[in-house]
Amino acid sequence: MNDVIAIAPILMAFLTGTTALLVRSFPRLQQIVSVAGTLGYAVTVATLVWRVVFASDAMSIAYQVGEWNAPFGITLVADGLSVFMLTITAVVAVYAIVFSVRFIDYRNQRVYYHPLFQFLLLGATGAFLTGDLFNLFVWFEVMLMTSYVFVAFYGNSSHTAAATRYVVLNIIGGAFMLLGVGGLYATTGTLNMADMARTVSASGTEMGPVVGLSALVLVTFALKAGLVPFQFWVPSAYRAAPLPVVAMFAGATKKVGIYAIIRLYFTVFGNATLPTTVPGIPSDSLLAFLAPVILVMGMSSIVVGGFGALSCDSLDGLFAYSSIGQIGFIAVAIGIAAATTVAELRHVALLATLIFALHHALTKGLLFLATGVIRDAVGTTQLADVGGLGERSPVFASVFLVGGLSLVGIPPLAGFFGKFLIFDAAGRQFAAHVTGDTFGAASAVVVLIVLLLGAVLTILYSTRAWMGTFWGPQTDVIKTGTVDSIEVLILGTLAVLVICVGLGFEPVYQFADTAAEAAVDTDGYVKTVEFGGEGA
Amino acid sequence: MTTVMTRTTARVVVPIILVVAISLFLQGHSHPGGGFIGGVLTVAAFALIYIAYNLDYLEDGVLGREVEKEESIGEHRTVAAYRRLFMFGLVVLVASTFSGMLLGDPVLSQYHRSIHLPLFGEIELASALVFDVGIFCIVVGGLLTVFSVVGAE
Repeated sequence: MNDVIAIAPILMAFLTGTTALLVRSFPRLQQIVSVAGTLGYAVTVATLVWRVVFASDAMSIAYQVGEWNAPFGITLVADGLSVFMLTITAVVAVYAIVFSVRFIDYRNQRVYYHPLFQFLLLGATGAFLTGDLFNLFVWFEVMLMTSYVFVAFYGNSSHTAAATRYVVLNIIGGAFMLLGVGGLYATTGTLNMADMARTVSASGTEMGPVVGLSALVLVTFALKAGLVPFQFWVPSAYRAAPLPVVAMFAGATKKVGIYAIIRLYFTVFGNATLPTTVPGIPSDSLLAFLAPVILVMGMSSIVVGGFGALSCDSLDGLFAYSSIGQIGFIAVAIGIAAATTVAELRHVALLATLIFALHHALTKGLLFLATGVIRDAVGTTQLADVGGLGERSPVFASVFLVGGLSLVGIPPLAGFFGKFLIFDAAGRQFAAHVTGDTFGAASAVVVLIVLLLGAVLTILYSTRAWMGTFWGPQTDVIKTGTVDSIEVLILGTLAVLVICVGLGFEPVYQFADTAAEAAVDTDGYVKTVEFGGEGA
Repeated sequence: MTTVMTRTTARVVVPIILVVAISLFLQGHSHPGGGFIGGVLTVAAFALIYIAYNLDYLEDGVLGREVEKEESIGEHRTVAAYRRLFMFGLVVLVASTFSGMLLGDPVLSQYHRSIHLPLFGEIELASALVFDVGIFCIVVGGLLTVFSVVGAE
């Protein structure tokens, strides 16, 4: 089964990026190519989603690149989880690029902005689709190369400093991942993820090294996702990069880290058995080691992100810290999924992870782009300098309000379901432990308390952003600045989308349900890849 | 660094580096080597020339052209050529990627055929070499752009 639709999003982004580079002497044409290419990308993703999830004969699709059969060639796998992440990416990318055309300075757009954007998209897409661990590393690098340029894009000293930090950290992270991947190859004898899943499930594989090596890889994934203690690059990089690209960072590239954790631990190592004695976690798989680590990472991210956002005095910094906190919520949900052995609870927790990831991408995308509108209008995002914008542009204020309320988690917006499902999972985790295991129950209570604290902090800093920007007396810059109505219109449609995801939640839920199903379906994943040829 | 010693060394070493680079490049599809490593070695040769002589040496020393003083290195004729080389490489990659698909095979499919040349013997023609040409051009174009621009500052 070699259906070209599985590789179509990658080809689309690659082709668009190259074409945009070729026509760079014609800026208008370049913008058209870039936007049209991104729309085409969205269409291919939609087709892929239809084929994998919603069609009557829906099934996961594998693609053996260059006719080299698995496990020797590079396999691309489009299953529920991959296409769910691709959908998030596509939506954010379309909004980011359309907004860029309007927002980024005309001369800056000519400096390779569009080709770079397409290659960033290409990197994220490849990471979501690949079924090969080393290839995942390669796509990470593709994504990073463009991210470096974007962080240094404006070229001032602060941007260069942020970029240097970002480059150094990610090169170290990349080295860790390379070590981990190389070690896993030495241990299991394969790089193909499906083949690796088969190998570690079979008895007789030495599991000790796999645990340690996967921890090395986890470091890189956590770095990419911006989880505490690897979060410190996030605020400066987010403040330095152009805001539409920051929307992409928050919406797509951070999610690559989350996706990689889910894919590697739940899909690939999910069936591996090894005797464990982690207190409070009654599991006999590798997930028992992941659970405490990622729970602690997630909880500290929530706390650090929340308090950081509260103490930030600029809007983009506030949202950058908020982004750390929100990723913390996602990580906690992954931790709950890893800590349990009950299939149903694991499913609910993964579902919560995915819904929250979707909500975060949409909402945070909306808020970062809204920050862009403010910067465009008044030239600053310092909370002290803006104020009273609500009076000046009520329409823009309501768009921002939708984003803020969704971030807080008010029904019926997208954010409500994300938060609701995570609390649901945490509650169930507590209920499962309440009779008997004291340590488990205590840790579940701690998780619940931190989640509650995180929710309260979210309300506090969202309120702070809202009051500081839209209420109060109008400052001088607000009085003289003009809010770009086309930018607001673009954001308005995104706000409507956030509302629609909440109101028409049923298909979204169904989609995420399939994705969460696919995340733990190791056998299905292995079967999709279809080891062909003599290698099987 | 433009001492007689570096110049003499460069004069001897550069051709050797280039020959090794080409041989690594040509055997890439079936032996260790390939477009990337060949490209990096080629860049090393160029870097040596830049160190021993200067950035304009290629223009006035080799090609015998007048060097125009542009306002920024980004506009320099050599740098523009490097950038074009980079783009050309990318186009070759795209073409090589899609050609397999047009022939009804999966993306990135490669073909090869052995031909017999008089005197030379058996020779293998592989379409993977086209892909390698693309990578070679990207590496050489990209790295030399970086070298020239950073070196000029």
